[in-house]
Amino acid sequence: MNRRSILKTAAVAVSASTFLSVASLGAWANETLKIGFVGVTSGPAAAWGTSNVRSMQTRAAWLNEMGGVKIGDKTYDIDIVTFDDQKDPKRAIAGMEKMAQEGIHYVVGPNVDDGAAAVRPVAEQNGIMYFPYAFPKELYTAPASNAILGMIANYQSGPAIYKYLKENKGVQKVAFVAANESDPLSQRDGGVAAAKALGLDVVSDNVTYQVDTTDFTPVLTPVIQTMPDLLVLSGVAPANAPQLIRSARELGYQGLISTETAQDATVLQEGAGELANGFISVGGASTPEIASDTMKEFVDRYTKMFGEYNDESNTKVYALEYIIETLKADPAAIDNVDEFKKTMDTFSAPNPYMKGDSKLKYVGMTSFGQKRQVFVPMVVNEFKDGKFETLFIAEVD
Amino acid sequence: MTRNQILGLAVFLLVILVAVPLFIQVTGRWDFYYTLTSVALLSIASAGVWLTFYIGRINIGQGAYALAGGYFSAILITKLGISFWLTLPLAGLFTAAVSVVIGLPILRLRGVYFAMVTLVLTEVARLTALALPVTNGAKGITSIPLPSGIASFSNPKLGFYYVAAILMVIVFAAMYRLVNSRVGHLCRSLQQNEELASSIGVNITYLRVIAYSISSFLGGIAGAMFVAISQSIYPSSFQVADSVNFMLNCFLGGLGYVFGPMLGTLVLYFGWDLLFQTGKFQMLIYSSLLILLMLVLPNGLLSIRMPSAKGGRK
Amino acid sequence: MEQILANGLYLGAQYALIALGLTLIFALMNVLNFAHGQMYVLGGFVTYTIYAQLGLPFVVGLAASAITLAVVGALIEKYLFRPVIRRSSREESTMLLAAGIAFFLDAVILLVFGEKQRGVPKIVNGVLNWDFRLIMPYDRILIGALAILSIVAFILFMQYSRTGRAMRALAQDRVAAQLQGVDVDRYSMIGFALGAMLAGLVGGLLVTITGINLGMGGPTSIKAFMMVMIGGAGVISGAIAGGFILGMLESIGLSVLSQYGDITYLAIFASLMIFLAIRPQGLMGKPWG
Repeated sequence: MNRRSILKTAAVAVSASTFLSVASLGAWANETLKIGFVGVTSGPAAAWGTSNVRSMQTRAAWLNEMGGVKIGDKTYDIDIVTFDDQKDPKRAIAGMEKMAQEGIHYVVGPNVDDGAAAVRPVAEQNGIMYFPYAFPKELYTAPASNAILGMIANYQSGPAIYKYLKENKGVQKVAFVAANESDPLSQRDGGVAAAKALGLDVVSDNVTYQVDTTDFTPVLTPVIQTMPDLLVLSGVAPANAPQLIRSARELGYQGLISTETAQDATVLQEGAGELANGFISVGGASTPEIASDTMKEFVDRYTKMFGEYNDESNTKVYALEYIIETLKADPAAIDNVDEFKKTMDTFSAPNPYMKGDSKLKYVGMTSFGQKRQVFVPMVVNEFKDGKFETLFIAEVD
Repeated sequence: MTRNQILGLAVFLLVILVAVPLFIQVTGRWDFYYTLTSVALLSIASAGVWLTFYIGRINIGQGAYALAGGYFSAILITKLGISFWLTLPLAGLFTAAVSVVIGLPILRLRGVYFAMVTLVLTEVARLTALALPVTNGAKGITSIPLPSGIASFSNPKLGFYYVAAILMVIVFAAMYRLVNSRVGHLCRSLQQNEELASSIGVNITYLRVIAYSISSFLGGIAGAMFVAISQSIYPSSFQVADSVNFMLNCFLGGLGYVFGPMLGTLVLYFGWDLLFQTGKFQMLIYSSLLILLMLVLPNGLLSIRMPSAKGGRK
Repeated sequence: MEQILANGLYLGAQYALIALGLTLIFALMNVLNFAHGQMYVLGGFVTYTIYAQLGLPFVVGLAASAITLAVVGALIEKYLFRPVIRRSSREESTMLLAAGIAFFLDAVILLVFGEKQRGVPKIVNGVLNWDFRLIMPYDRILIGALAILSIVAFILFMQYSRTGRAMRALAQDRVAAQLQGVDVDRYSMIGFALGAMLAGLVGGLLVTITGINLGMGGPTSIKAFMMVMIGGAGVISGAIAGGFILGMLESIGLSVLSQYGDITYLAIFASLMIFLAIRPQGLMGKPWG
């Protein structure tokens, strides 16, 4: 973000808040519904949590501007309470305690495996439902019951992508690389298992890198020598993806490259340019083919508020929507998560961010044996000249 | 013990065991329990780092021992079904034993060299936890049962708070005794001039290893306690940032004061928590305050008092 | 093999340049600058803003990075490190200050430049491909050459200029240099500015290859510490050697150990610890730092 856009953002923020305070001085004042966020918004992984927080703040400001949200017979303004856990599980617990203190029952986050596991006791003791962006199955299978997966897990999208590429692009040999951290390594192991189950030949699956690597050429050299048809960047951080792609292509690699996490088009374009063309990743719902007008307006508002959109928010826009819509369907759930859990089993509402008659509903029976995942269309993208194009769309049940 | 010291200890005990719970009861700030529990545990680990400072070594590797202690406890509980209360001292002894093996060669190093080796040690510990089968690698160990006794508390937070607070009191009382004992005086002589100490017949190798293993023992039990609270452990549960923070706690409190790490941890950890309302400016304000503190009190917070008041003066 | 050596050389050149600034600051003031990596990141973002956002030539961005960081470094030395060093009873206390500055720069970078990974358009296109035995993109070769050039220029400066000689005298023996009439305050400030400038310069150079994001600061500092330790703290030639050795170690280690996968870095770090335990002063350092 350059300085000018900061000034602009500041100006918008000031005028918006003036407008809001004037508006709130008006005839009636709504009650406030606090929704929490516990995740990482500083340090190396700041991008993950920041796209969460900004999606939530954008949507909340928009809803409040329209007069608030009507739940039962009361109208609420949405207030987003955020806590930066610095990607430290010990801090994440403190954050969840803060949320409990604020009387919050619905929290988005944390962003990583260790944080999501660490906050579980606090969330269960204090009656908090939380929406982690972490994949370990034990968070979502019984006896755990307070976590709801906020996106699509790699063990769901991976097999779909490999199957598609095997059938349509003739992929036979697959290679995996991952950062030597918990989340990417777990995702790599899941990916390897899925590829083997499909009968693919895994030619390299043990090359790892430090997340702070500045030159990936030495990392990728042995991988490329195994001549794979598909190179999977397991759980790759948006910051590392363009460098990995660039190094692989500059080493003369001709095959396909894919990942199962969400990426940002601008970052790819800046970091790898046309070398990133053909890169396959999983996104949310903003490719032009399927984005509704609401989604387009969301992107506009986000851009106005913060200066620049982040494509990772295509997925992260959903958690807050699910919380609010479920509360609308069952107003008693506003301070009672048992009601929320009951409603989840039958809940269904129109999906405002997608064209057509797509629904918001909870899924996860196949993976977790209970409905503990938000239903988000699995949009598999291909990067092309600075934009994402839809490769295919699949669903999770 | 002098009368003043007994009085001080009594007042301190009264504050943390009665006044704090009472304050929380009245104000309803239940979240402070966890924050204060963290402060107590982190200050125990920081006390270990402080002890290595006391023998003239900058220790940026305490995270490694906290991680090792945490894993040791978690593995004993989940694989062998041993009670947490037994694993707590065992975790400390385990890390102390490990630290003897590691400490013997590296304690010969001084200044920034020792600091750097210990910093690398933290990363080595993380990578080892990722690679070993017994630690369950990247997937970590989760769903660890609550310690017996704590589970019977209606509010486990309260139980953990009491345990952590009492542990902290014991640790700092022991540290105070240690620093003012003969061994403590010898340690201080190491800090000032090792050659001199050696020439007057002090077995410096032995003394350094003892101090380092006590330090690591404290890291181990702090790590094990955290695992009990979060009921899970991952290779990233304690990392380089934690090691650095343990060291910063000591600096902030003041290297010349036994109780420095306690105060330093309280200010650094609580400070971050209190600033959480400031949203995206949190880090900016936090770091500005840190720099300002350093400019005003470069020898640590406790240096604001008369230096001869308490504890091991430099 | 050619490929591995070329990778190692390129990595080594960039590492050495990062380590140089850190070791200079350490030699002059005995300060372990935890904020070095953040200065590197700041340099990268300045070049990004000027070259990619404003569309000015790359060299302008590079110069702006160097100048910005030199000014920042000078200010930090004058108003933060100097008063704290003067008043603290143990000089390690500056580590807390350095860490505070690192946090502060992190926060400023996050607020001003945002949380995203940034990259700039390639400065030269094309890839050198020598029969698939050696593959090296031209921009990498250019940046590697520029890095080596900067290192040579820095050595010449330290060796032959008046300022360079004064700084070397200061590094060898602070008191003696002072008695000889070297203005300690002035040269400490110049030295710190120079060290920060080098960090900014590397940031500007590397943003063309690896891009930049705010998370790179801390890890970069730690890597730089390691290189300094390998070569010997506070020794210029040691930092250069350390940089090239770590570069080679990574390049060779990654190819040789690649079949062992997850333990590659474990092996690299563990051997580093063993090396330091055997030779505590690094390759060329004064014993006991």
